[in-house]
Amino acid sequence: MDKLTYSDCYCSVGRVGWPILLDIPDAAGLKREMAAAGIERALVSHALARSGNPGLGNARLMTEIAGDPDLDPVWFLLPHHTGEMPHPQRLLEEMKIAGVKAVRLDPGRAQHGFSLAEWCSGALLEALAEARLPLILDADIVTWEEVKSILDPRPGMPLIMANCSYRHNRYLYPLFERYPSLHVEMSRFLGAGTIEDVVRRFGPRPLLFGTNMPRYTGTAAVARLAYAEIGRADKQAIAGGNLKRILGEIWR
Amino acid sequence: MKSLEERIHAGVPLDDIEIIDLHAHLGPHANLHIPAATAADMVHAMDLCGIDRTVVSATLSFEADFVAGNDMMLEAVHAHPGRIYGACAVNGNYPDLSVAELERSFARPGVVMVKAHPWYTKCALDDRRMSGIYAFAAKRKLAVLAHTWLDGDPYGSMDLLAATARRHPEVHWIMGHSGGPDGSRRAVEIAREVPNVYLDIALSMCPARQIEYFVKEVGAERVLFGTDNPFIDPRPQIGRVGLAEIPLADKVKIFGTNAKRLMGF
Repeated sequence: MDKLTYSDCYCSVGRVGWPILLDIPDAAGLKREMAAAGIERALVSHALARSGNPGLGNARLMTEIAGDPDLDPVWFLLPHHTGEMPHPQRLLEEMKIAGVKAVRLDPGRAQHGFSLAEWCSGALLEALAEARLPLILDADIVTWEEVKSILDPRPGMPLIMANCSYRHNRYLYPLFERYPSLHVEMSRFLGAGTIEDVVRRFGPRPLLFGTNMPRYTGTAAVARLAYAEIGRADKQAIAGGNLKRILGEIWR
Repeated sequence: MKSLEERIHAGVPLDDIEIIDLHAHLGPHANLHIPAATAADMVHAMDLCGIDRTVVSATLSFEADFVAGNDMMLEAVHAHPGRIYGACAVNGNYPDLSVAELERSFARPGVVMVKAHPWYTKCALDDRRMSGIYAFAAKRKLAVLAHTWLDGDPYGSMDLLAATARRHPEVHWIMGHSGGPDGSRRAVEIAREVPNVYLDIALSMCPARQIEYFVKEVGAERVLFGTDNPFIDPRPQIGRVGLAEIPLADKVKIFGTNAKRLMGF
């Protein structure tokens, strides 16, 4: 089997206050880590947008990855009510011009301090669903009830759950049954036989290749997929084909 | 022949390198769904990537009944000789029964290690009820694999393991998970200070560049291949070592040479 072509849907660039071991302050560093693991393309957010300020970090990201054809921007967003970010329709226009390919929301008191509930994030979620812009949420932060609350009124909204672990199958399988637009990135989705089991039950559609670099290594997810006991076409779909299809539907 | 890296990218089993997994489990778990948890499932996954031998303790052993868990372990060792080896689970809350379990298990062929899970059993590594277990291990110069985590574990912290290892220098101490994803720096400091401590790489949250960091700081001889199978699929761990930017000779040591020496295989 030839090497798969990988598109990472979950990594970041930018200095953090508490790196595990590796710090990737710039795009060149990220490209080096991608090359070491054999990863060709990536959706990238900026660490400053997560741990500093979303607006500042998003702007820094655009400067950092400008002109790199292999790196596509992911913005952190906030609901518009405080005026820190524009109204959702205006925000969509800005993101379309900037070429943003996915967005992240970090709700909750310990993160960006807002609620995913309709009274707070409803207008923003509605706009994202309309644009079919993929929303990335961290399974360590949001609850499965929140996921259901987002997707029940918006069943076609592309939603990528990041940081799902080997402990999440019992939550995810019923959600996969309900929502064809729900996806999981696989950086920690590494339970024994889980990739094969998901593909057997649901096909390769729910799974997206992701690494969470620089926190985690890309080499683990690459090897998991390379050695997966599934067909070559399914492997390539997970490695990058599914993401390409999702991104091809944005703004339509 | 293609390079090691090319074969991993192609999904080809690494049959020319001896790979020994010193941190694996077996069977179902109350908290989660494991699609491939049987001994046969585990051997199949090992075949897919080229793992030769694995040392297992049953997941039942930790929060549930460690005697039932050891029964399951012994069955798997018996059913898969030369592929599955046993780690006898102990539980300091049952000190006499733990020693009896050690005697029962080590009387059988293929049982090579002791497994302690202080987090689940809530019996600290330095609890005096563990002394009979450690005496058994010391007398036979065994390896003890103990779960460790950097923060929030009053029973199996990395520093407790270091202190216990100092008190029992005849025992080889495998620092399970090397303290978790945030434990790497402390793990290295302990391994540099305590010569009978070894670093285990089994994790689902695999820190970037951890393998390179361990090799640089403590040398490849002190790093042991582990997977946490079937909690975690073993195949990602092949990539962590095989695609690390370290010399091939160091990869060979981590994959199997170190474990072979330690286990006497």
